Amino acid sequence: MPPKAPKGEYIETDTGNKISRRSLIHGTQHIILGGKTVIQADAVIRGDLYRSSSSASSTDPQQAAAATPNSPSVAITVGRYSYISRQAILRPPSRLHRGVYSFYPLKIGDHVFVGERAVVEAATVGNHVHIGKDAVVGSMAILKDFAYVLDGAVVAPGMVVPSWCVVGGAPARIVGEVGEGYGVEGAEGGMARERYRLVGR
Amino acid sequence: MSRPFPYAFISCPCANIPVPDPAKKRRSRDSPQKSNPDKPKPLLPPDDEDEQTFDPRSPRANFSLYPPEQLLYCEDCHQIKCPRCITEEIVCWYCPNCLFETPSSMVRSEGNRCARNCFNCPICTAPLAVNTLENVVTGGTSQQGPWVLSCGYCMWSTLDIGIKFDKPTNIRTQLSKMTDATPSRSRQMSRTFGDLKSPLSTYSSIDEAFLPPGESKPEDPLDQPSAPLNPDARFNALKNFYKNQISATSSSPTDPLGMDFGAGFSSPGALNRIMSLYTSSSRLSSLYGGANKKPKTKPPVMREALTAGEGLKVPSPDAEDALIQRMASPDCGWDGLASLEQRSFQSPDARFVDDLLPLPVLLRTKRSKRCKSCKHILVKPELKPQSTRFRIRLIALSYIPLPTLRPLNPGPQQAATVLPTPTAPGSTTNPNLDALSPLRPIQLLLTLKNHMFDPVRVTLATPSVTPGRVASKVTILCPQFDIGANSDVWDEALQGASATTTAANTATPATATTTDPRGSRSGGLGVYEKVAEAGKVWDKGRNWTTVVLEVVPGTLPGGVKRTLKKYPANELEADNHPSNNNNNNDDEEDSNSDSDSDSSVALDWSGQTSDPNQQLQPDEDVLEIPVFVHMEWDSDNQIDQEQGVGVGRGSSSDTVKRELAYWMVLGVGRIMREVV
Repeated sequence: MPPKAPKGEYIETDTGNKISRRSLIHGTQHIILGGKTVIQADAVIRGDLYRSSSSASSTDPQQAAAATPNSPSVAITVGRYSYISRQAILRPPSRLHRGVYSFYPLKIGDHVFVGERAVVEAATVGNHVHIGKDAVVGSMAILKDFAYVLDGAVVAPGMVVPSWCVVGGAPARIVGEVGEGYGVEGAEGGMARERYRLVGR
Repeated sequence: MSRPFPYAFISCPCANIPVPDPAKKRRSRDSPQKSNPDKPKPLLPPDDEDEQTFDPRSPRANFSLYPPEQLLYCEDCHQIKCPRCITEEIVCWYCPNCLFETPSSMVRSEGNRCARNCFNCPICTAPLAVNTLENVVTGGTSQQGPWVLSCGYCMWSTLDIGIKFDKPTNIRTQLSKMTDATPSRSRQMSRTFGDLKSPLSTYSSIDEAFLPPGESKPEDPLDQPSAPLNPDARFNALKNFYKNQISATSSSPTDPLGMDFGAGFSSPGALNRIMSLYTSSSRLSSLYGGANKKPKTKPPVMREALTAGEGLKVPSPDAEDALIQRMASPDCGWDGLASLEQRSFQSPDARFVDDLLPLPVLLRTKRSKRCKSCKHILVKPELKPQSTRFRIRLIALSYIPLPTLRPLNPGPQQAATVLPTPTAPGSTTNPNLDALSPLRPIQLLLTLKNHMFDPVRVTLATPSVTPGRVASKVTILCPQFDIGANSDVWDEALQGASATTTAANTATPATATTTDPRGSRSGGLGVYEKVAEAGKVWDKGRNWTTVVLEVVPGTLPGGVKRTLKKYPANELEADNHPSNNNNNNDDEEDSNSDSDSDSSVALDWSGQTSDPNQQLQPDEDVLEIPVFVHMEWDSDNQIDQEQGVGVGRGSSSDTVKRELAYWMVLGVGRIMREVV
């Protein structure tokens, strides 16, 4: 952060993450940001919803034993140059597995854009993924690289969006494909660095 | 996908050039109205280049305007190629759900649906998940519950139609077995699952195996109408039946219709009959085939299917009544009826929600793309479905400069309008592009970024007044400029000082930023005290150049030319409440008309609905500027230089002068109805 504004809107970390002071980040020790990530005001990141060994141990001691070795379990991973817009919610996916309700890590790739008020509960979000504003990405969904979720789309839980596909609607269906030039630096899908640079100016 | 403002679309010249057809080309060359056919044909038709400006509102423009990333470039034709000027070839088939590849032979035989466990919900089309019913596990070992397909979106599951699976794999086989081979199931279950296959596919195993028992079973069709044969098997039976009929009834062994089924859909006797009509009675008979004519033999008549084994299905007389009764019954209701969208992918008999079966996921394809005119391959993705890499990818962005538009604000707080989401937080930008006030000049920065390894000289041209009824004045302050080569970043860094100085020579005073070797386009952001000057580029970097566009938005036809003297006050207001403006933009547009008619009846009646001249066409208030881009550069000589259209020989032998010209459309914003 430039010295002129010590109490600016954004906290800039060593790796270049720009995190709004007004964002709501829970369980920071379970969140990994890849650097140069922007988290805007009122974004909610639920790092506290990690796969806890205590809840597992109550019903399944074996599983708990397996889960404990990697003690600081990671709930959310975000890659470089990703952008979490205002009021977006990142929440690790969850499901009922073998009678145990547990959370799974949410992995977000590089150059990902998450629009305003979007709710992301995906298992994996690839690189260069665009999630439009007001979109909902259901639990355990997988968005492959260069997937494009239109504004207001509702990606059903467990859905897989292949690369280069545009999904929209509720429930989301594949409605088209982005062009081959999508993701080229500076063009549509390749604005992540530009976005990052402009934040906090 | 409509884009938020500002955007830039590029017009593929193919809309003005007819499909390359050698005969046609010759004809048009001979035609007198062609201006000068001797001249080497430029990239655009000459008349277009000379007189016509590209009208972004013309209906044809819809078909030629593309966002830059959609366009390809053919290195042999030296032209931009839009999705209309290419042909596609399927590289592989894959299921979008499990991302497994399906071999094309299997696609042909089994239809283009996933043969694994991927299903879509018949109610809402969301993907179905395989879940176990036995979710309470005591020992942690017994997972052997029955399995169902369930939808995570609408909570439908196969339990609703009474289907459970024994194992969680090979669901499709299990399902087709269930729906095919058990006639004892309820009525809706008797239909085959295989009817989801393409009817062109050649049926194999299950259906063929099922056919003999259906044929051998002599039963009264009226008694048990739908039990024995599902539509799929019925189709096969009918197909076989008609094949036999044709071979049996074709009169001569050399009859071409008897050979294969596809050639004649009608009975072969029909043609004979028609022919004999003409040949028998008249004297033509002596001309045509008097020798082999046996006119009095009645051609055998093809009969239709008579038994259920032959594929006949006679609906029971009260079938419709039963359907109607069921629809009328209280337990069906509106919700029990399948909608048209749901039925369109199901068996033709499916009328109720209970009849709907899970749909195997449709496969998708990866495709390679070829230039339509020279057949060269433009895009070739890697074979693996999961891979996002390309073996060949000739996208237009590697050849034409990437245009980016953003408003130039006099104020210091400037940001975020370049973002894809103009309503991004902190966007306290002054001009609200969704509500441009007419007659107030705005300045825009147009950045062109070169991705080629050669420096490019660019000439921009734009009509001084935009076409259409809303005449906005446009001036490009510096229409001719150079863009540096997209040389290697590391080369640049090593050359260091020299590059900086060359940039400094040509660029405007804001050169401090151009030393950034990465060519950051936002480099000039800080220096907004600068005033745009005519004839000078605004800013310049390693491989990009920014020029200033000055635009005076025109007034809308129904708009009120009220007082211009209120300018300063409103300017302040607009500056103070940009977000406010932004939010109720749409409302404003509606309410403006009302307020107009109230307040300024004397000035302008603004009767949008009554007077067609005053009526605003949809999107007529969008300010779009057509810009003609002409670029030329010296490129390395290539073998195919004589093929190049619009290529002049350079002076030296190893470089060749190339040029490319195209229209692009800059979407600036939406003009407000009222002069505030």
